[in-house]
Amino acid sequence: MKIGIPRALIYWKRPSFWESFFENLGFEILLSPKTNKEIIEMGVKNSDQENCFSNKVYFGHLIWLDGKCDLIFIPRLKTNEEKLEYCPKFFALPDLAKILVKTKILTETFDERKEKFGKSLEKLGKKLDKRGKETKKAFAFALSKERELREKQEKNFLKRIKSKNEKIVLISHPYNLDDEYVNLRVKERLEKLGAEAIFINEIPNSGFQIPNPKLPKFHWEFGKEIMEKIEAVLKYKIDGAIEISSFACGCDAVLKEFIEKKFKENKIPFLYLIIDEHTGEAGFQTRLEAFLDTLK
Amino acid sequence: MEKPIVTFANWGNYTVIFKTLFKELGVEVLPPEKTNPNAITEGAKLAPEMFCFPMKVNLGNYLSAIEKGANTIFMATASGGSCRLRYYGVIQDKILKEAGHKTDFIVFDQAIGDIYSKIKEISGASLYQILKVFYHFYRKLRFIEELERRTQYLRPRETEKGLTDKILAESISKIDNLKNEKEFPKVKKKILKRLSEIKFNKNKELPRVGLIGEIYTVCDPVVNFEVEKKLGKEGIEVHREMDLSYQLKKKIFFKDFFIQRKIKPYLGSTVGGHGRDAIYEMLKYAKDGFDGVIHLLPAMCMPEVTVRPILEKLHQEYQIPFLSLSLDEQVAEAGIDTRLEAFVDVVKNYHARKKT
Repeated sequence: MKIGIPRALIYWKRPSFWESFFENLGFEILLSPKTNKEIIEMGVKNSDQENCFSNKVYFGHLIWLDGKCDLIFIPRLKTNEEKLEYCPKFFALPDLAKILVKTKILTETFDERKEKFGKSLEKLGKKLDKRGKETKKAFAFALSKERELREKQEKNFLKRIKSKNEKIVLISHPYNLDDEYVNLRVKERLEKLGAEAIFINEIPNSGFQIPNPKLPKFHWEFGKEIMEKIEAVLKYKIDGAIEISSFACGCDAVLKEFIEKKFKENKIPFLYLIIDEHTGEAGFQTRLEAFLDTLK
Repeated sequence: MEKPIVTFANWGNYTVIFKTLFKELGVEVLPPEKTNPNAITEGAKLAPEMFCFPMKVNLGNYLSAIEKGANTIFMATASGGSCRLRYYGVIQDKILKEAGHKTDFIVFDQAIGDIYSKIKEISGASLYQILKVFYHFYRKLRFIEELERRTQYLRPRETEKGLTDKILAESISKIDNLKNEKEFPKVKKKILKRLSEIKFNKNKELPRVGLIGEIYTVCDPVVNFEVEKKLGKEGIEVHREMDLSYQLKKKIFFKDFFIQRKIKPYLGSTVGGHGRDAIYEMLKYAKDGFDGVIHLLPAMCMPEVTVRPILEKLHQEYQIPFLSLSLDEQVAEAGIDTRLEAFVDVVKNYHARKKT
């Protein structure tokens, strides 16, 4: 049996995890290709106009998979192990997918306020006629794969943070940072301009859990994570910060206020970029160049 | 510390009862000006660009009152919800401070204990007094909602055009100018008498349209360009389930649980805000044989945008006319009117076809 996974949005929350999990269970995996122009066009055409750009990209990947596999896997991610919520737009993804595609949707709710992650995984395994033992094994395998990737990333980060070039932190959601086409290859562009681009999700979680009275208590997992990682990265010498938002992202409208304030307080230059299907490469490049000029 | 002078955001006809709520508690109140295009523009200038529309209107409302001397802002948020309303208080506080206004914020969670302790803090009133004030508040709230429902029924049927709206406006200002709570039953009787004197065509069978969507835009006639009134004038009976007491009841009676059971085939989870309610209401209207559904939302509202494809699917399944109107500071009334006019034609045709 072939299981399709759209390579967008929630995929980037845990890249490699779901593939290794299903592969260990003995299924064939079909990942949608890297985002390209056609995928974005399909997504934009088929989703609600006012939906955020990242969701549109996701629907594009979904439609690409339609008919090419037996099942499409879309988890309903609600809360993580810290009992913090994901973006509310993730809650309805399986239901919206049912409207868009004809291929059967494989889904399971992951709400750790009600149930441990492993338990939900077992339920998911049962839907595929797998015994609890097998799912547990696959879960452990997927976790170890994920850890390997993470360690490699952290080593890489420690090397790059010592770089002599201007270090610029890129703040955004993993689905904007890790998807090259979506962020117009911002990393490559910055490197060409002689700067070192550091993604916020590469920064190791070093447990900066000091409650900050100036900040609201975020109920979004990414809100808490991003603010914590900013605290962590501020310990190093940073030359500039760029936040990238998908157009119409409701959560970023809230977050941006606090992120911008944080960098302004620390006197670090800050640039805010919004991306969507109309973002032109030339304008994007100009803004990056101008920003780097102000750092000198 | 300065004496607190409280102001709050405008919200349709409810504004008047919020005013008296504070007055009765012995707190000085400065109600905001009625929402107007100028207030919306000023608010939109201050608010973060991608934030949802109600925040921009709220800020505009506060500004008009702050100019006149208000120094404390009362804001209700939903601390349990998944949408951005949760951060309204903090963000508004931050924005006003950055704009150089020295204002305090009282942020209410929608929990009885929290409301009680915060009211106690600013007013120093006793428990008995607070309970009494809330009883009065609820009494007026129910009455205003009853008035609104009656006007929805009367508007398309009245023989003298425009009379119902005139009486509604008069009644609201009468409730606003109430000097003593003891007079309320008398005033209520008077208003009901005035309403009963309206002559209307009882046997008229009219097309019915349901209003669904986000609570703030649905309940505030200024923000939604008086959709109810416009439809009523065109001879359409408007129904709306979403109002403040619906929201209060939902909190008390675990209504979410029953709603979720009804909409299970369409949506398997909450999406924050009133996303589920919109589907539930649309299903209800479609099954009740309504002739159309209008979906109102602030532009880019997260829950409503998420459920809109599902509403569109319902629209196709039940073949019921459907119109979704996103509202923000850039929407012009003329554009809304054109779309409404076209929709009214569709609704009337649908209604006529159904009869034959």
